[in-house]
Amino acid sequence: MTLKKCPVELFPATDFSMATLTEAYNQARIDYIVPMPMNVARMRAYIHNYDVTLESSVVATIEHEIVGLGMLGIREQRAWITRLGISPNKRRNTAGQAIMEYLIQESRERGAQKIILEVIKGNEPAYHLFKKLGFYVTRELLVLRRPPLKAPSKYKPYTVTYLNEATTSDLLEQRHSKPSWLDEAPSLRHAGGLEGLSVRLIDGSHGWIAYQHALYQLGRIVLQPETGDKIAVAQALLHALHTRHLLHDTKFENLPALDPYWEVFEECGYIVSFKRLEMNLDLR
Amino acid sequence: MKKILLIEDNPYDARLVGQILKHHDCQFNHAKDASSGLELAVRQNPDIILLDMGLPDLDGQTVMALLQQMEELQDIPVVAVTAWPPDTAREMAEAYGCAGYISKPIKARQFYDQIAVYFSDDAVYFSDAEE
Repeated sequence: MTLKKCPVELFPATDFSMATLTEAYNQARIDYIVPMPMNVARMRAYIHNYDVTLESSVVATIEHEIVGLGMLGIREQRAWITRLGISPNKRRNTAGQAIMEYLIQESRERGAQKIILEVIKGNEPAYHLFKKLGFYVTRELLVLRRPPLKAPSKYKPYTVTYLNEATTSDLLEQRHSKPSWLDEAPSLRHAGGLEGLSVRLIDGSHGWIAYQHALYQLGRIVLQPETGDKIAVAQALLHALHTRHLLHDTKFENLPALDPYWEVFEECGYIVSFKRLEMNLDLR
Repeated sequence: MKKILLIEDNPYDARLVGQILKHHDCQFNHAKDASSGLELAVRQNPDIILLDMGLPDLDGQTVMALLQQMEELQDIPVVAVTAWPPDTAREMAEAYGCAGYISKPIKARQFYDQIAVYFSDDAVYFSDAEE
Protein backbone atom coordinates (compact mmCIF):
# COMPACT_ATOMS: atom_id res chain seq x y z
CA MET A 1 0.00 0.00 0.00
CA THR A 2 1.38 3.41 -0.95
CA LEU A 3 0.93 5.92 1.85
CA LYS A 4 2.32 9.03 0.23
CA LYS A 5 2.82 10.07 -3.36
CA CYS A 6 6.00 10.87 -5.29
CA PRO A 7 8.72 11.73 -5.19
CA VAL A 8 9.00 10.09 -1.79
CA GLU A 9 6.76 7.10 -1.19
CA LEU A 10 6.24 5.62 2.26
CA PHE A 11 5.46 2.01 3.03
CA PRO A 12 4.81 0.22 6.32
CA ALA A 13 7.93 -1.59 7.54
CA THR A 14 5.88 -4.78 7.67
CA ASP A 15 6.01 -4.86 3.86
CA PHE A 16 9.74 -5.65 4.06
CA SER A 17 11.80 -8.55 5.35
CA MET A 18 13.95 -8.12 8.43
CA ALA A 19 17.04 -8.53 6.23
CA THR A 20 15.89 -5.67 3.98
CA LEU A 21 15.14 -3.41 6.94
CA THR A 22 18.54 -4.16 8.44
CA GLU A 23 20.31 -3.43 5.18
CA ALA A 24 18.32 -0.21 4.71
CA TYR A 25 19.29 0.90 8.21
CA ASN A 26 22.97 0.07 7.67
CA GLN A 27 23.05 1.91 4.35
CA ALA A 28 21.46 4.97 5.92
CA ARG A 29 24.12 5.09 8.63
CA ILE A 30 27.14 4.12 6.56
CA ASP A 31 28.76 7.56 6.68
CA TYR A 32 27.87 8.38 10.29
CA ILE A 33 30.63 9.24 12.73
CA VAL A 34 29.12 6.50 14.89
CA PRO A 35 27.55 4.15 12.32
CA MET A 36 26.38 1.43 14.76
CA PRO A 37 25.63 -1.17 12.06
CA MET A 38 23.49 -4.18 12.88
CA ASN A 39 22.97 -7.70 11.65
CA VAL A 40 19.53 -9.26 11.46
CA ALA A 41 19.78 -10.83 14.91
CA ARG A 42 20.72 -7.53 16.47
CA MET A 43 17.88 -5.75 14.67
CA ARG A 44 15.36 -8.34 15.88
CA ALA A 45 16.61 -7.96 19.46
CA TYR A 46 16.44 -4.18 19.16
CA ILE A 47 12.84 -4.29 17.98
CA HIS A 48 11.91 -6.67 20.80
CA ASN A 49 13.81 -4.91 23.58
CA TYR A 50 12.51 -1.45 22.83
CA ASP A 51 8.90 -2.25 21.92
CA VAL A 52 9.32 -1.10 18.35
CA THR A 53 6.07 -1.56 16.41
CA LEU A 54 6.84 -2.47 12.81
CA GLU A 55 3.21 -1.78 11.85
CA SER A 56 3.83 1.86 12.75
CA SER A 57 7.36 2.02 11.35
CA VAL A 58 8.02 3.12 7.84
CA VAL A 59 10.31 2.72 4.84
CA ALA A 60 10.81 5.51 2.30
CA THR A 61 11.44 4.89 -1.39
CA ILE A 62 12.17 7.10 -4.34
CA GLU A 63 11.52 5.59 -7.75
CA HIS A 64 11.21 2.13 -6.19
CA GLU A 65 14.58 2.36 -4.44
CA ILE A 66 14.72 2.24 -0.64
CA VAL A 67 16.25 5.49 0.56
CA GLY A 68 15.57 5.43 4.29
CA LEU A 69 13.48 4.30 7.20
CA GLY A 70 12.21 5.27 10.61
CA MET A 71 10.89 3.15 13.45
CA LEU A 72 8.39 3.80 16.21
CA GLY A 73 8.34 2.34 19.70
CA ILE A 74 5.16 2.60 21.74
CA ARG A 75 4.82 2.32 25.53
CA GLU A 76 1.49 3.31 27.01
CA GLN A 77 0.91 6.93 25.96
CA ARG A 78 4.45 7.59 24.85
CA ALA A 79 6.08 7.04 21.49
CA TRP A 80 9.79 6.81 20.64
CA ILE A 81 11.26 7.49 17.23
CA THR A 82 14.37 5.49 16.45
CA ARG A 83 16.57 4.03 13.68
CA LEU A 84 15.77 7.05 11.51
CA GLY A 85 18.15 7.31 8.61
CA ILE A 86 18.38 8.32 4.98
CA SER A 87 20.98 6.99 2.52
CA PRO A 88 23.75 9.57 2.09
CA ASN A 89 23.06 10.43 -1.55
CA LYS A 90 19.29 10.85 -0.97
CA ARG A 91 19.30 13.32 1.87
CA ARG A 92 18.09 16.32 -0.11
CA ASN A 93 14.83 14.75 -1.16
CA THR A 94 12.72 15.54 1.94
CA ALA A 95 12.49 11.82 2.70
CA GLY A 96 13.59 12.46 6.30
CA GLN A 97 10.84 14.99 6.85
CA ALA A 98 8.26 12.74 5.19
CA ILE A 99 9.22 9.86 7.48
CA MET A 100 9.10 12.07 10.56
CA GLU A 101 5.70 13.53 9.68
CA TYR A 102 4.37 10.03 9.13
CA LEU A 103 5.71 8.79 12.49
CA ILE A 104 4.30 11.83 14.31
CA GLN A 105 0.88 11.23 12.77
CA GLU A 106 1.10 7.53 13.59
CA SER A 107 1.95 8.41 17.21
CA ARG A 108 -1.13 10.62 17.45
CA GLU A 109 -3.34 7.90 16.02
CA ARG A 110 -2.01 5.44 18.57
CA GLY A 111 -2.90 7.79 21.40
CA ALA A 112 0.59 8.94 22.33
CA GLN A 113 0.73 12.18 24.29
CA LYS A 114 4.47 12.60 23.91
CA ILE A 115 7.15 11.57 21.43
CA ILE A 116 10.74 11.02 22.53
CA LEU A 117 13.83 10.70 20.39
CA GLU A 118 17.58 10.97 20.69
CA VAL A 119 19.91 12.60 18.22
CA ILE A 120 23.69 12.28 18.19
CA LYS A 121 25.15 15.59 19.29
CA GLY A 122 26.68 17.20 16.23
CA ASN A 123 24.22 15.74 13.73
CA GLU A 124 23.04 19.21 12.80
CA PRO A 125 20.76 18.34 9.85
CA ALA A 126 18.76 15.88 11.97
CA TYR A 127 18.71 18.23 14.95
CA HIS A 128 17.36 21.11 12.85
CA LEU A 129 14.73 18.89 11.27
CA PHE A 130 13.50 17.84 14.71
CA LYS A 131 13.46 21.45 15.93
CA LYS A 132 11.50 22.47 12.85
CA LEU A 133 8.92 19.80 13.65
CA GLY A 134 8.47 21.12 17.19
CA PHE A 135 10.81 18.90 19.22
CA TYR A 136 12.69 20.51 22.10
CA VAL A 137 15.80 19.37 23.97
CA THR A 138 15.19 17.87 27.39
CA ARG A 139 18.72 16.84 28.35
CA GLU A 140 22.14 15.72 27.17
CA LEU A 141 23.02 12.05 27.46
CA LEU A 142 26.41 10.34 27.49
CA VAL A 143 27.24 7.07 25.79
CA LEU A 144 30.01 5.50 27.81
CA ARG A 145 32.46 2.64 27.39
CA ARG A 146 34.68 0.92 29.86
CA PRO A 147 37.34 -1.60 28.84
CA PRO A 148 37.70 -4.75 30.93
CA LEU A 149 40.57 -6.04 33.05
CA LYS A 150 40.88 -3.03 35.31
CA ALA A 151 39.29 -3.27 38.74
CA PRO A 152 38.44 0.16 40.13
CA SER A 153 40.82 1.20 42.89
CA LYS A 154 38.84 3.80 44.80
CA TYR A 155 36.34 2.31 47.26
CA LYS A 156 35.61 1.86 50.94
CA PRO A 157 35.23 -1.64 52.39
CA TYR A 158 31.78 -3.10 51.84
CA THR A 159 29.77 -6.27 51.94
CA VAL A 160 28.03 -7.36 48.76
CA THR A 161 24.85 -9.32 48.07
CA TYR A 162 24.22 -10.68 44.59
CA LEU A 163 20.63 -10.32 43.43
CA ASN A 164 18.70 -12.58 41.10
CA GLU A 165 16.65 -11.43 38.13
CA ALA A 166 13.34 -11.30 40.00
CA THR A 167 14.69 -9.27 42.90
CA THR A 168 16.51 -6.91 40.56
CA SER A 169 13.38 -6.49 38.47
CA ASP A 170 11.44 -5.51 41.60
CA LEU A 171 14.11 -2.99 42.57
CA LEU A 172 13.72 -1.22 39.23
CA GLU A 173 10.30 -0.07 40.40
CA GLN A 174 12.04 1.91 43.14
CA ARG A 175 14.39 3.71 40.82
CA HIS A 176 14.99 7.41 41.55
CA SER A 177 16.71 8.53 38.35
CA LYS A 178 14.80 9.37 35.18
CA PRO A 179 15.61 6.69 32.61
CA SER A 180 15.91 7.10 28.87
CA TRP A 181 13.88 4.76 26.65
CA LEU A 182 16.89 2.45 26.32
CA ASP A 183 17.18 1.77 30.03
CA GLU A 184 13.58 1.94 31.16
CA ALA A 185 12.46 -1.11 33.14
CA PRO A 186 10.71 -2.74 30.13
CA SER A 187 13.94 -2.45 28.09
CA LEU A 188 15.94 -4.16 30.81
CA ARG A 189 13.35 -6.88 31.29
CA HIS A 190 12.98 -7.57 27.57
CA ALA A 191 16.74 -7.70 26.99
CA GLY A 192 17.26 -10.58 29.42
CA GLY A 193 20.34 -11.24 31.51
CA LEU A 194 19.10 -8.84 34.16
CA GLU A 195 21.26 -9.04 37.26
CA GLY A 196 21.93 -6.88 40.26
CA LEU A 197 23.89 -6.53 43.43
CA SER A 198 23.64 -4.48 46.58
CA VAL A 199 26.38 -3.21 48.86
CA ARG A 200 26.50 -2.06 52.47
CA LEU A 201 29.36 -0.02 53.89
CA ILE A 202 30.60 -0.29 57.47
CA ASP A 203 28.75 2.92 58.41
CA GLY A 204 25.46 1.51 57.11
CA SER A 205 25.41 3.39 53.81
CA HIS A 206 23.91 1.16 51.15
CA GLY A 207 22.52 0.94 47.63
CA TRP A 208 22.04 -1.31 44.62
CA ILE A 209 22.91 -1.58 40.98
CA ALA A 210 21.01 -3.31 38.18
CA TYR A 211 22.57 -4.22 34.84
CA GLN A 212 22.34 -6.43 31.83
CA HIS A 213 24.87 -9.24 31.74
CA ALA A 214 25.36 -10.38 28.14
CA LEU A 215 27.94 -12.88 26.94
CA TYR A 216 30.74 -10.38 26.33
CA GLN A 217 29.30 -7.11 27.50
CA LEU A 218 27.69 -5.42 30.48
CA GLY A 219 25.15 -2.69 29.82
CA ARG A 220 21.97 -0.87 30.77
CA ILE A 221 23.30 0.07 34.19
CA VAL A 222 20.98 1.50 36.84
CA LEU A 223 22.98 2.82 39.78
CA GLN A 224 21.09 3.65 42.94
CA PRO A 225 22.86 4.62 46.14
CA GLU A 226 20.07 4.70 48.72
CA THR A 227 21.29 6.19 51.99
CA GLY A 228 24.36 7.55 53.77
CA ASP A 229 27.54 8.43 51.90
CA LYS A 230 26.09 8.06 48.41
CA ILE A 231 29.34 8.75 46.56
CA ALA A 232 31.10 6.02 48.56
CA VAL A 233 28.18 3.68 47.87
CA ALA A 234 28.40 4.43 44.14
CA GLN A 235 32.14 3.68 44.20
CA ALA A 236 31.53 0.43 46.05
CA LEU A 237 28.77 -0.62 43.65
CA LEU A 238 30.97 -0.08 40.60
CA HIS A 239 33.89 -1.82 42.30
CA ALA A 240 31.69 -4.81 43.10
CA LEU A 241 30.27 -4.89 39.58
CA HIS A 242 33.60 -4.76 37.78
CA THR A 243 35.33 -7.13 40.15
CA ARG A 244 32.57 -9.69 39.59
CA HIS A 245 32.75 -9.21 35.80
CA LEU A 246 36.42 -8.42 35.39
CA LEU A 247 36.65 -9.69 31.81
CA HIS A 248 33.56 -7.95 30.49
CA ASP A 249 33.55 -4.92 28.25
CA THR A 250 30.96 -2.36 29.32
CA LYS A 251 28.73 -0.17 27.19
CA PHE A 252 26.49 2.20 29.08
CA GLU A 253 24.15 4.27 26.96
CA ASN A 254 22.39 7.44 27.99
CA LEU A 255 23.76 8.44 31.36
CA PRO A 256 22.48 12.01 31.81
CA ALA A 257 25.40 14.43 31.47
CA LEU A 258 24.30 16.02 34.75
CA ASP A 259 24.02 12.72 36.63
CA PRO A 260 25.39 13.21 40.16
CA TYR A 261 27.49 10.03 39.84
CA TRP A 262 29.14 10.74 36.50
CA GLU A 263 32.44 11.56 38.21
CA VAL A 264 32.34 8.21 39.98
CA PHE A 265 31.87 6.45 36.65
CA GLU A 266 34.76 8.46 35.25
CA GLU A 267 37.05 7.55 38.16
CA CYS A 268 36.11 3.94 37.54
CA GLY A 269 37.44 4.02 33.97
CA TYR A 270 34.34 4.96 31.98
CA ILE A 271 35.02 7.18 28.98
CA VAL A 272 32.67 9.13 26.77
CA SER A 273 32.19 7.56 23.37
CA PHE A 274 29.76 10.17 22.11
CA LYS A 275 26.89 12.36 23.26
CA ARG A 276 23.22 12.48 22.44
CA LEU A 277 20.50 15.03 22.91
CA GLU A 278 17.18 13.74 24.14
CA MET A 279 14.29 15.61 22.53
CA ASN A 280 10.55 15.56 23.16
CA LEU A 281 7.47 16.60 21.25
CA ASP A 282 4.26 17.15 23.23
CA LEU A 283 1.17 15.99 21.39
CA ARG A 284 -1.46 17.00 23.93
CA MET B 1 55.39 -11.13 3.55
CA LYS B 2 53.22 -9.41 6.15
CA LYS B 3 49.81 -10.84 6.89
CA ILE B 4 47.19 -8.13 7.30
CA LEU B 5 43.69 -8.85 8.55
CA LEU B 6 41.00 -6.23 8.05
CA ILE B 7 37.78 -6.63 10.07
CA GLU B 8 35.39 -4.25 8.34
CA ASP B 9 31.72 -4.45 7.39
CA ASN B 10 31.73 -1.55 4.94
CA PRO B 11 32.29 -3.16 1.50
CA TYR B 12 33.56 0.07 -0.04
CA ASP B 13 36.26 0.51 2.57
CA ALA B 14 37.18 -3.17 2.39
CA ARG B 15 37.52 -2.98 -1.38
CA LEU B 16 39.61 0.18 -1.13
CA VAL B 17 42.00 -1.38 1.38
CA GLY B 18 42.31 -4.47 -0.84
CA GLN B 19 43.13 -2.27 -3.82
CA ILE B 20 45.76 -0.36 -1.88
CA LEU B 21 47.44 -3.42 -0.43
CA LYS B 22 47.66 -5.36 -3.67
CA HIS B 23 50.47 -3.02 -4.69
CA HIS B 24 52.50 -4.06 -1.65
CA ASP B 25 54.18 -7.25 -0.60
CA CYS B 26 51.58 -8.47 1.86
CA GLN B 27 48.86 -11.03 2.29
CA PHE B 28 45.50 -9.35 2.75
CA ASN B 29 42.53 -11.01 4.38
CA HIS B 30 39.17 -9.52 5.06
CA ALA B 31 36.41 -10.41 7.50
CA LYS B 32 33.10 -8.61 7.31
CA ASP B 33 32.03 -9.08 10.90
CA ALA B 34 33.44 -9.68 14.34
CA SER B 35 32.80 -13.40 14.60
CA SER B 36 34.48 -14.26 11.28
CA GLY B 37 37.25 -11.77 12.11
CA LEU B 38 38.05 -13.48 15.40
CA GLU B 39 37.99 -16.85 13.68
CA LEU B 40 40.37 -15.67 10.93
CA ALA B 41 42.65 -14.07 13.49
CA VAL B 42 43.02 -17.34 15.38
CA ARG B 43 43.53 -19.35 12.18
CA GLN B 44 45.93 -17.03 10.41
CA ASN B 45 47.83 -15.33 13.21
CA PRO B 46 48.22 -12.06 11.25
CA ASP B 47 51.02 -9.55 11.74
CA ILE B 48 48.52 -6.76 12.19
CA ILE B 49 44.76 -6.45 12.61
CA LEU B 50 42.91 -3.43 11.24
CA LEU B 51 39.69 -3.18 13.21
CA ASP B 52 36.66 -1.15 12.22
CA MET B 53 35.05 -0.02 15.46
CA GLY B 54 31.49 -0.30 14.19
CA LEU B 55 30.63 -3.90 13.28
CA PRO B 56 27.21 -5.46 12.83
CA ASP B 57 27.49 -8.29 15.35
CA LEU B 58 29.77 -6.92 18.09
CA ASP B 59 31.17 -3.46 18.73
CA GLY B 60 34.82 -2.95 17.85
CA GLN B 61 35.61 -2.26 21.49
CA THR B 62 34.19 -5.61 22.53
CA VAL B 63 36.20 -7.33 19.79
CA MET B 64 39.30 -5.59 21.07
CA ALA B 65 38.55 -6.72 24.60
CA LEU B 66 38.20 -10.31 23.38
CA LEU B 67 41.42 -10.16 21.35
CA GLN B 68 43.29 -8.96 24.42
CA GLN B 69 42.05 -11.90 26.42
CA MET B 70 43.15 -14.49 23.85
CA GLU B 71 46.69 -15.44 24.75
CA GLU B 72 47.68 -16.40 21.22
CA LEU B 73 46.51 -13.04 19.82
CA GLN B 74 47.27 -10.51 22.50
CA ASP B 75 50.67 -9.53 21.08
CA ILE B 76 49.33 -8.73 17.62
CA PRO B 77 49.06 -4.97 17.10
CA VAL B 78 45.48 -3.92 16.49
CA VAL B 79 44.86 -0.60 14.79
CA ALA B 80 41.40 0.93 15.11
CA VAL B 81 39.96 2.25 11.87
CA THR B 82 37.24 4.71 12.68
CA ALA B 83 35.34 7.85 11.73
CA TRP B 84 35.31 9.05 15.33
CA PRO B 85 36.67 12.53 15.94
CA PRO B 86 40.45 12.30 16.57
CA ASP B 87 40.28 12.98 20.31
CA THR B 88 37.66 10.28 20.83
CA ALA B 89 39.50 7.86 18.56
CA ARG B 90 42.75 8.35 20.44
CA GLU B 91 41.18 8.02 23.87
CA MET B 92 39.06 5.01 22.97
CA ALA B 93 41.82 3.17 21.08
CA GLU B 94 44.31 3.76 23.88
CA ALA B 95 41.87 2.71 26.61
CA TYR B 96 41.13 -0.55 24.80
CA GLY B 97 44.79 -1.37 24.16
CA CYS B 98 44.96 -0.68 20.43
CA ALA B 99 48.37 0.10 18.98
CA GLY B 100 46.92 3.21 17.37
CA TYR B 101 44.17 4.37 15.09
CA ILE B 102 43.58 5.45 11.52
CA SER B 103 40.87 7.96 10.75
CA LYS B 104 38.18 7.40 8.15
CA PRO B 105 37.69 8.26 5.38
CA ILE B 106 40.68 6.16 4.36
CA LYS B 107 43.25 8.14 2.43
CA ALA B 108 44.54 5.88 -0.32
CA ARG B 109 47.91 7.61 -0.73
CA GLN B 110 48.77 7.47 2.96
CA PHE B 111 47.16 4.26 4.06
CA TYR B 112 50.01 1.80 3.58
CA ASP B 113 52.48 4.11 5.31
CA GLN B 114 50.02 4.49 8.16
CA ILE B 115 49.98 0.76 8.83
CA ALA B 116 53.63 0.08 7.96
CA VAL B 117 54.76 1.94 11.08
CA TYR B 118 53.34 -0.90 13.13
CA PHE B 119 55.39 -3.57 11.31
CA SER B 120 58.67 -2.36 12.75
CA ASP B 121 60.03 -4.10 15.85
CA ASP B 122 60.65 -0.73 17.45
CA ALA B 123 57.27 0.71 16.47
CA VAL B 124 56.13 3.46 18.77
CA TYR B 125 52.56 2.56 19.60
CA PHE B 126 50.06 5.24 20.12
CA SER B 127 51.48 7.79 17.84
CA ASP B 128 48.58 8.80 15.65
CA ALA B 129 49.56 7.41 12.29
CA GLU B 130 48.10 10.52 10.70
CA GLU B 131 50.35 12.97 12.43
